[in-house]
Amino acid sequence: MDVLSALDPLFFVLISAGAAIGIVFGAIPGMTATMAIAVCLPLTYALDLNHGLALLLGLYVGGISGGLVPAILLNIPGTPSSITTTFDGYPMCQRGEGERALKIGVVSSLFGGLFSAAVLFLFAPVLSDFAIKFSYVEKFLIIFLALTVIASLSRNLLMGLFSGLIGVWLALIGTYDVSVGGNGDTRLMTEAMEPYLSEGFSLLPVLIGLFGVAAILKEAEQGIRENTEGMRITLEKGARFSLGVFRNQGVNLVRSGVIGTFIGMLPGVGGSAASVLSYTQQKNFSKAPEKMGTGVPEGVVASESANNGLTGGALVPLLSLGIPGDSTTAVMIGAFTLQGVQVGPLFIGENLETWNTMMVALVFANLVMFAIMFFAIKYVARVVMVPKYLLYPIIMIMCVVGAYAINYGVMFDVWTLLLFGLGGYLAGKVGIEIAPLVIGFILGGQAEVYFVKSLESFGTYTIFFTKSPIAMVLWGLIVLSIAFSVYNLVKASRRKTQEGGA
Amino acid sequence: MKKLSLGLCLAATVAGGIATTSAALADTGFPNNLRIVIGSKSTGGDTYQNTAIVAEALAEKLDINVKVDAVGATAAFKTLKRVSNGSTIMMFHDQSYLGYLYGRKGYENPFEEYRIGPTVSINPGSAYLVAQGSPFQGLDELMTACADGTDIRVAIQPGGVSEIGYSAMKNAIRIEHPGKEGCLVAVNRGSQSDKNQAMFDGLADLIHGSVQANEQYTRLPADDQKAMRFVWLTARNQTIQQANPEGMGQTSREDLLQYVEPNVSVTQDGEKNFTFDKEFFFLFNKDMDPALIEELDQALTEIFAEGEIQETQKTSFFIPNFMPSAEAEAYLKDKMSQYATIIDALHN
Repeated sequence: MDVLSALDPLFFVLISAGAAIGIVFGAIPGMTATMAIAVCLPLTYALDLNHGLALLLGLYVGGISGGLVPAILLNIPGTPSSITTTFDGYPMCQRGEGERALKIGVVSSLFGGLFSAAVLFLFAPVLSDFAIKFSYVEKFLIIFLALTVIASLSRNLLMGLFSGLIGVWLALIGTYDVSVGGNGDTRLMTEAMEPYLSEGFSLLPVLIGLFGVAAILKEAEQGIRENTEGMRITLEKGARFSLGVFRNQGVNLVRSGVIGTFIGMLPGVGGSAASVLSYTQQKNFSKAPEKMGTGVPEGVVASESANNGLTGGALVPLLSLGIPGDSTTAVMIGAFTLQGVQVGPLFIGENLETWNTMMVALVFANLVMFAIMFFAIKYVARVVMVPKYLLYPIIMIMCVVGAYAINYGVMFDVWTLLLFGLGGYLAGKVGIEIAPLVIGFILGGQAEVYFVKSLESFGTYTIFFTKSPIAMVLWGLIVLSIAFSVYNLVKASRRKTQEGGA
Repeated sequence: MKKLSLGLCLAATVAGGIATTSAALADTGFPNNLRIVIGSKSTGGDTYQNTAIVAEALAEKLDINVKVDAVGATAAFKTLKRVSNGSTIMMFHDQSYLGYLYGRKGYENPFEEYRIGPTVSINPGSAYLVAQGSPFQGLDELMTACADGTDIRVAIQPGGVSEIGYSAMKNAIRIEHPGKEGCLVAVNRGSQSDKNQAMFDGLADLIHGSVQANEQYTRLPADDQKAMRFVWLTARNQTIQQANPEGMGQTSREDLLQYVEPNVSVTQDGEKNFTFDKEFFFLFNKDMDPALIEELDQALTEIFAEGEIQETQKTSFFIPNFMPSAEAEAYLKDKMSQYATIIDALHN
């Protein structure tokens, strides 16, 4: 009854407004769900806890979901966790299936979000007990498993691995931060670079640079004529959306939702690993793995179901351990502390009303996100019809503003954007593969911390194999994932040879 | 409604850097938009929470827009060094000088490089905990075990607030059992989650935590792997005595008092007990107009005289602790020199 009294019209208005604002933040390159929540956090001063959380959960779900829009339409991941959405979403858009790709993404997002909300509601305390079984060793192995996607994403295995290593190396530039248990010293730079690089390269400017700016430079090289009717992408050239596309995607949807939820509940592992991992697994289990990355719906389904699965997953440790599962829920914890509410292992039992209203908010936020995005898509998708000579300058401005804003006004982030834009453009010329490089960059920092901390804690390399049954299972998955990738590569190369012979 | 418009102003300003529209005041030297950078990147932590409370009160008192930016220590110090016109000021806590004493990168002596502003509050929650099933009942047993040659592993985040209690314990063992301080071993961890995990994994005998973050863990059933017990709160006895009687969660003020000196004793120099209160204070650019500092002192004097802010602080488990700039500087300088003695004794 108490719950029902909390569910007043304002509650639903705030969720809807939050979801709408979140989608906008997620859709603008350089702005994220984390930023949306940080910006709107002061608004919650004036609201009670339930209303404050309604707004923030709307922002969270909207922000995570909005990232798919630029990923599909512009090949720029709106949020780091939508990186794998670009792999198939953008090629679909290039074929004139932008609207279809967006709708597949939105439906998958809805599934991932509702699935993780159900898991959160039913199993949160049990899952938190399971989550604490994952120490540095198991977390390292999960990151390692996600890194195996590099093998399957590479067009040329050796070059892909090399690109991935460059990504890892770039991620290590900066301080080995004490906030992750490091020694606070800077690495891989001269003293003169410390004022700029002590915090390393920021993730989003790097992503936007490599994807957005590099693509614009490439187009600029080819030249964009003012009267370019033929260069516009028509909207409905390709296949139309129908729910039939999900007919064979049940396993993919559920597996990706499970992976997203599960990765979300491991504090520190982060959202990008979830979509990367589910994309890897889909590629491994796909009937036509060689098609993934060329614009097939299953890639978008895997990525989007997983990154929305994060929303419920990341709330598991927040609400049952008092520890945020990702950077966005870390901001959300502010709403609790500002209201003087403790989150911890007894939160659910002691705050049943808040818990139940949060669950209602989470489910409703997903539904609102779906309603807004699904029906607005046909208008949003028209962005690809804007001539490139108009669209690209606008994207550039948005990228620069986003990069500048991401750390509250650090000019070096803008230079990072341009540097990586130019780097990404030149890298393509010498055969360096951008997708493996980005995966290496996203996961490299965590891989290092978990690896070093595992060794610091246990003092032996054998611990990676013997730490726990979970570690052994993860090794099994890693071996399988690599074996699948190699098998698929060999199969593809044989087919190419046969086709060449014929 | 005023709160809401403050929030909207903050949101709009953060989102686009757009100047907000609140009426400019005639009689303040501060610009219409005041930015407070904080030494933490978290908007869920105590620094943000404490600063948000003070910012709201200041915005109302000075009739200006006040924006809190969680930029982190390095960026905040850099910004503060750059901006001397009073449009950006900083709020942080003892980490400002502890980072310098522990030689962390990005930290300089704040008393030389910046102007120290007024203190506003204390977070009394700095705590040390053992697992519920630990054989050690209290801190004295842990320190005695060290004296007997048993290694005691303490999970901390190195280089500041989390380490000072560990340094104090090590120093106490050095004083009472010379040569045995090496048995107290730091296990370097990052966030609170990492420190908790070190305990769950059996890699730490003692962890640094806080009353706010760990209180619920102390109420879990004994057979729960996550269950913990407080053994020491570093705050002064009189600090905890100022907390609301209900304390935090289900742990009352009386309960908390069991874990502070003199009930738990960690000697600082053989005579007095070591204590550490995490105190929040403003920092200013060295060349900032002294008139602005005076104005801020005056505004906070009035705010604290009105008494409302103390209630808000106490509700959020902060202990009000306003001291004007000059008094705060002298007090914090003395505090720093005491901790410098402890750290030097361990490193020399």
